[in-house]
Amino acid sequence: MVKDLTTDVLVIGAGPAGSMTAKWAAKSGARVVMIEKRQEIGSPVRCGEGMSKEWLKEVGVTPSSRWINVEVEGARIFSPSEKVLEINEKHAGNEVGYVVERDGFDKQLAIDAGNAGVDVMLKTAATGIVRENGRIVGVTAKAFGEPFTIRAAVTIGADGFESQVGRWAGLPTNLQLRDMDSCLQYRMTNVDCDVRYCDFYLGKVAPGGYVWVFPKGDGLANVGIGVQLSQIKSPAEARTYLDAWIAKHPAYAKGKKIDMVGGGVSICAPIKQTVTDGFMLVGDAARMIDPLTGGGIANGCIAGKICGEVAAKAVHAGDASKEFLQAYEKGWRVRLEEKLYRNWLAKEKLCSLSDETFDKVVDALEGVKLEKLTVHNILKAVHTKYPEVTREFEAFL
Amino acid sequence: MAGKKSLHIESSGQLCIYCGACVGVCPLNCIYLDETRITFDERICTRCEICVKACPVGAIEID
Ligand SMILES: Cc1cc2nc3c(=O)[nH]c(=O)nc-3n(C[C@H](O)[C@H](O)[C@H](O)COP(=O)(O)OP(=O)(O)OC[C@H]3O[C@@H](n4cnc5c(N)ncnc54)[C@H](O)[C@@H]3O)c2cc1C
Ligand code: SF4
Ligand code: SF4
Repeated sequence: MVKDLTTDVLVIGAGPAGSMTAKWAAKSGARVVMIEKRQEIGSPVRCGEGMSKEWLKEVGVTPSSRWINVEVEGARIFSPSEKVLEINEKHAGNEVGYVVERDGFDKQLAIDAGNAGVDVMLKTAATGIVRENGRIVGVTAKAFGEPFTIRAAVTIGADGFESQVGRWAGLPTNLQLRDMDSCLQYRMTNVDCDVRYCDFYLGKVAPGGYVWVFPKGDGLANVGIGVQLSQIKSPAEARTYLDAWIAKHPAYAKGKKIDMVGGGVSICAPIKQTVTDGFMLVGDAARMIDPLTGGGIANGCIAGKICGEVAAKAVHAGDASKEFLQAYEKGWRVRLEEKLYRNWLAKEKLCSLSDETFDKVVDALEGVKLEKLTVHNILKAVHTKYPEVTREFEAFL
Repeated sequence: MAGKKSLHIESSGQLCIYCGACVGVCPLNCIYLDETRITFDERICTRCEICVKACPVGAIEID
């Protein structure tokens, strides 16, 4: 029999957002339990494994060769007819970064949490929310198949894209078809890719999304695709599109697949509410993925730190009301919301471009040395070569 | 249930890769994934077919 538990802070899910939340709650003096339904943290890897790097310091993570495969110099955007736009470190500032061994990275964050005093329970899944007088006071769970209850002053849903906990808590996390990408990826060996760049292929090769190639060194790469749900016409299209793309590119067609993973990525505007009485939602569960890049590791970790700190404060104050937890709601929005919103708008615009227009935009930028990659600079460059393309953007010029 | 189409999730591992895309997108929260086991609540499902689109490998069928 598993005994019922009581703790200050309960974190559901040991992905990056969960481990980061748990670590900072423990560092701030709370007793923390983190439950994870898998038997192995970080595996299977549902991730392209690309991430920027400047935020690591902010959340207290030291880069380590144990999980960094490659440090890239920049990104390359390939238009539908494969004209190339190169974005280097100077343009993109801190957006470019590492290609990582994601399972190793997730384990590192869980190790940091464990070392900060967090109790980690594997093979333990939340199965329902426990409410008392309208507020959330914990969850029902199963550990190795046995049911038990965990009570907590603050409960945190960090259960990723699948998030059921957020919906049990009544938070507005439902997605429309246009707000989500269906993703599939392979780790491939024996491919010819340039280890200096993370590559993105846009347009009809991946409607509403893109094909990515992130180099891992020694001829290994993470090659994957995201396709917007509203553009999917028949089952298994993510796989069909990805396999077709690989077949057309000899540098990858000769590669061998080592593993295959799928998953969902949200590409929506920020959701309206992430806290309720006794409860907070963080990471993919709170739909914090960047809608333009599809990257969610950094945002989950940044919000996780804020979430953990607020959780500990709520414990110390003896107040986990919705009002008290606004500190988190406000905190993560101040740090992330503006960019999430801006990138959502950019993504909406990008999805509406025809392949032809998109080719022109990239063509106009090819070879032009832009000091900094801002919307204004891009439009100016495009305007010089294809004035008709920028007509609807005149206001920005 | 009379009139309802039948939804089938091929979850034995022949097609399904246990990625959870269907779980996250179901508006009624009626799919549940635990490592390599999928449970699906036939009674709640409205056959909206969103999960069918979300599945990257075509493991969900409605007929
Ligand atoms: C194919 C693909 C490629 C991607 N590529 C990138 C990329 O290159 N760069 C990037 O930054 N982001 C990428 N992302 C997004 C990134 O993977 C996520 O943003 C990130 O994993 C979010 O972290 P998280 O902690 O919120 O959730 P997750 O990492 O999903 O962790 C959630 C955890 O909760 C556990 N859990 C779920 N339900 C329960 C329950 N009921 N009880 C207990 N535990 C539970 C899960 O097992 C899981 O371990 C990609 C996503 C996909 C699908
Ligand atoms: S058809 Fe709709 S309601 Fe039924 S399981 Fe799929 S997403 Fe959920
Ligand atoms: S989306 Fe498809 S492959 Fe992924 S868990 Fe659901 S049925 Fe399985």
